[in-house]
Amino acid sequence: MLRWKYSRPFLATLLALLALAPILGGNPLAQPGLQQTLAVAFIYGGLALTYDLLFGFTGLLSFGHAIYFGSGMYITCILINHNVVPWYLAMVIAISITALLAMLVGMASLRTTGITFAMVTLAFGEAGHVIINRNFFGLTGGENGIALDATKVPQFWIGVVNTKYLYWTALLALIIVYAIIWWITESSAGRVFAALRDNELRVQVLGLDTQKFKLLSFVIAGSLASFLGVIMLLAAGSAAPRFADANLTIALLLMVILGGAVTRWGAVIGGILYSVATTRMQDLTQQPFFTDMPKIIGGPLSEPALTLGILFILVVMFAPGGLSGAYYKLRARAIAKK
Amino acid sequence: MSTFLLILITGIGLGALYFLVASGLSLIYGLMGVLNFAHGAFLTVGAFFGFWYAKQSGFMITTPKFLLSMLIGGLGAGAFALLMEQLIIARMYERHVDQALVTVGVALVVGAALGGWFGNDLVLYPTPPYFLNGVNIAGAIIPADRFFYIGTALILLIANWALLKFTRIGLIIRAGVENRNMVAALGINVRRAFSTVFFLGGFAAGVGGVLISVYSNGVSPLIAGQYLIYGFIVVVIGGMGSVPGSFIAAMMIGVIRQFANYYVTGLGDFVVVILLAGVLLIRPQGLLGKAAA
Repeated sequence: MLRWKYSRPFLATLLALLALAPILGGNPLAQPGLQQTLAVAFIYGGLALTYDLLFGFTGLLSFGHAIYFGSGMYITCILINHNVVPWYLAMVIAISITALLAMLVGMASLRTTGITFAMVTLAFGEAGHVIINRNFFGLTGGENGIALDATKVPQFWIGVVNTKYLYWTALLALIIVYAIIWWITESSAGRVFAALRDNELRVQVLGLDTQKFKLLSFVIAGSLASFLGVIMLLAAGSAAPRFADANLTIALLLMVILGGAVTRWGAVIGGILYSVATTRMQDLTQQPFFTDMPKIIGGPLSEPALTLGILFILVVMFAPGGLSGAYYKLRARAIAKK
Repeated sequence: MSTFLLILITGIGLGALYFLVASGLSLIYGLMGVLNFAHGAFLTVGAFFGFWYAKQSGFMITTPKFLLSMLIGGLGAGAFALLMEQLIIARMYERHVDQALVTVGVALVVGAALGGWFGNDLVLYPTPPYFLNGVNIAGAIIPADRFFYIGTALILLIANWALLKFTRIGLIIRAGVENRNMVAALGINVRRAFSTVFFLGGFAAGVGGVLISVYSNGVSPLIAGQYLIYGFIVVVIGGMGSVPGSFIAAMMIGVIRQFANYYVTGLGDFVVVILLAGVLLIRPQGLLGKAAA
């Protein structure tokens, strides 16, 4: 088992390897295909971490988190495509507007708590998704989404040869989000977040404005999600409704629960594994092994959601800590043995 | 005037469909504190059970057979709900967030299984011929199916009310919504009330699933999505655990949405969300809900 004093050098080596792999050559990461898959996976890893800040660290079960990711994507894409502002300003404006949006939605929905809060955020999130689908003023492109005008962003992000720059950008975005969330959850505000999750009444008795702290967590998670949405716009090359719907939020929930909440790295690993797994499973289910099976078994099995759903139910029922929880449990057992 | 009536009655008909979904959600939440994301799965399962029977009749179906397919849909969904409650939910009472998460898993699994078996394309649900007729009310030609939805919702509302008001299990459910621990402390088996509520919620959702398949011109594993979301909104606006509250909120939302959509396409969803925000700001517990304890 990995001990704390070894885990930092281990992490540093891992990051260095991940960062250098595309230029070293002679490994699978020198291929644009895997770079693209991992770039997307890093973004989902970061997004899962922002969800962990809300759900794991603050105890706010939001079902509308994807809308902030989508909002970052769409606003950036619209501003760039219509020549309103240069690309870097578009990104800043998109993140600011999303932060404001998260604040407004947070102010309304945080009047409720617990399970009701989950319902309300779901309703707001879906409303946003519906608005995107309706294609008001032809801005959002309806169900097809909108393609990013590739001529208006720096060219090193565009094209298959340049996938490695995209890969580095995504990796950097993940590191930035990780650092910010690490800093927040270890700060005194982070302690209040955890206290809110464990015993809200107690925090109130201590004289702290609980609403303000919850809103802070909500807005930070939303803004970071929109930042990752901006990066995803570059990686996907377009903004589409599937990046803003409740299914994505549910996927985030799966990532955090399967990876393990409140450990930070659990959510990131969960997000990366989930993202890679769903991409790979689609290829896998086209294999003869699956297509030759009778439809009554092969049909449902070829849907990744079935396997993930069953795994999810089992983890929630029997192993609530997820992957990282299991790791810590094993480590505690190993230490106790000594 | 005739357009006004058409929009109004269509809105009420839509509200009736929302109510069928929301009533079960509201009772399950009110009694057990379970946010049931699998409610959409109940709806879809019900629709497919009903369809399994109805498709033997071909494109058109006689009214008694259609009613029977509704009943089969309701019973199938009810049985499925009961199964889920017994197998999964009953093992984790008092873990409310985990329960909500597990229902998300169930919804995923059901969606994937149905999608794998039947594909995700719409398949036409056999409909009684008179559903396609128009009914003339004060000069407005209104499709007959709207009245059927409204009638079904009213019957279920009254049946629900009678059950809660006049039966012993209804009394236990009402008392349980009020204060579950007290009921349990009196030595009454609340678990049976839980199972009943899950069955009833599943039944209503299943019947709703059949009607929604007719309204949306076909059955597919994806029909539940929008209705589940509206079901949640109705429950929040109407007040958790209040069936009459759900009824009023469902009608309100159906009508407001139709009128807004008539004037500006797509405005309806937006107005409903504004309404939701407004209700939350003024009355966080919903129209007929109890103030948070």
